[in-house]
Amino acid sequence: MLELKDIHIGYTSKVVQAGITLSIDAGQFIALAGNNGCGKSTLLKTICGVIPLLKGTLLIDGKNVAELTAAQLASQVAVVLTDKISGFNLTAFDVVASGRIPYLNSFGFLTEEDRAIVQSSMNSIGIFELCERSYDELSDGQKQKVLIAKALAQQTSVILMDEPTAFLDYKSRVALFTLLKQLSKEQGKTIVISSHDIDIMFKHVDKVIYFNESGYQFGEPDKLYNEVISK
Amino acid sequence: MAKSPLINCFVLLGGLVVLFYLNLFYGSTVLTWSEVSSGTARTIFFDIRLPKSITAILAGGGLAVAGLLMQTLFRNPLAGPYVLGVSSGAGLAVAIAMMLFGGITDYLAGKSLISFAAISGALLVMLFVLFISKRSKSNITVLLVGVMFSQILGAAQGIIEYVSNPASLKSFIVWGMGSVSNTTMSDVKIVIIVVLLLVVCTLFLSKSLNALLLNEAYAQNLGINVNRLRILIIVITACLTGIITAFCGPIAFVGLSVPIASRLIFKTSHQLHQIIYSFLLGAFTLLLCDCICQWLSSNYLLPINTLTTLIGSPVVIYLLFKSKTLS
Repeated sequence: MLELKDIHIGYTSKVVQAGITLSIDAGQFIALAGNNGCGKSTLLKTICGVIPLLKGTLLIDGKNVAELTAAQLASQVAVVLTDKISGFNLTAFDVVASGRIPYLNSFGFLTEEDRAIVQSSMNSIGIFELCERSYDELSDGQKQKVLIAKALAQQTSVILMDEPTAFLDYKSRVALFTLLKQLSKEQGKTIVISSHDIDIMFKHVDKVIYFNESGYQFGEPDKLYNEVISK
Repeated sequence: MAKSPLINCFVLLGGLVVLFYLNLFYGSTVLTWSEVSSGTARTIFFDIRLPKSITAILAGGGLAVAGLLMQTLFRNPLAGPYVLGVSSGAGLAVAIAMMLFGGITDYLAGKSLISFAAISGALLVMLFVLFISKRSKSNITVLLVGVMFSQILGAAQGIIEYVSNPASLKSFIVWGMGSVSNTTMSDVKIVIIVVLLLVVCTLFLSKSLNALLLNEAYAQNLGINVNRLRILIIVITACLTGIITAFCGPIAFVGLSVPIASRLIFKTSHQLHQIIYSFLLGAFTLLLCDCICQWLSSNYLLPINTLTTLIGSPVVIYLLFKSKTLS
């Protein structure tokens, strides 16, 4: 469960969105929509601790994020960012296995249990056959799936995804949203995803957070679409 | 070559032991076990070749690990202490120290001063390059700024040399040519302690370095304290480069080309393996260069930088043509 209580997000030089208060239940699939620069990525990066929270309280499964260490937060929230990963001999397995980093010792060796979790994460996304492939040589769609498997291997209750459908064709986008909805329902993960694919996204998610210059709206996709977005 | 890590380590260690033996016993004078217990052979063995061989192993290994750390920190496979000017920073600081305090006759005070100056110079350049890398997303820009900065530091060094007295100038020029043969056993003891301690510390950063391979934001989300990690990498790299440069002068290309070669040969991204492979391969490379210098020259000693550049440059050129990740 994710609770945002009067939070302000942005940077020290500029507050992007102020006074966000909402609650997301466990197992819900949530969409973040809105124009560029309205705070979608900033909100995701704030929740996962990459950008500091300017004001307010953020609770994950009842725990105040401000009181968690980076390692504790890593076992609560996983994130898939837009930043590209490349080089250094990384295979698809290496990238997925990095999701186990919060649970490893300083030398970073995987135990048999960690390997089993990585394999099961790859299997659940249907990419186990990519294991030994170089991450650099994968297609954009395969890379997204590898990063989602990494987030699953992190075994967190919350998964955040920043524009995972960018660069994907229509069929792959639909497949990705179907897969994420399935994960949220079957594994009880809270998934928050930002995307500009309004049509596809709104058909799959439970609720939508819609950002615009004057603030935000939070509600059912159909209701929000008819009352706010289509106008 | 991507066999099991243990086999890879044994192969590298085996090669290193063979080279170490050849370096100790073969050169302009060929020695045997029975000879080294007394006389001139003993002096050659214990006072010249043994400290030189150990220095080559530690300097090669240490610089390779420093290079690996820089490449991971900047997420740039062309980063290295020599290319990005860290060695030049150490060099300039040593030049200033030698010119200002060249009169120091106490051995320990002199070495301590040079070491301190070299580490400080390396540290300042590391911070500068990190600042540039934060401003620019382009690997090539960071690289070019590092190269240009290295040239500026070299020019500043030239000015200091120009105005210095002949005695200080001579000692600095000899130091600046880069050599593993100017160390005594007392120096070697310091280098052993510092380099091995820093390399062992680096092993404990393996997990964090693995996370940093993705990028800083992912590393942070994986529970890594990125700011603390960045500081540790900068301090370890500066200390490794500084202490090695202080005792051996600036050594070219080992820090850049060895981690690249290690990745190409061993094809693993796990940083614990890469730290060990890079250390052993760096030690092997510099010891091989020293062996070749020793075997080729009878009346004079070929500068080791000539060979490190001859071996290192083709590796970098190969990478520039092959790499898909430099843009």
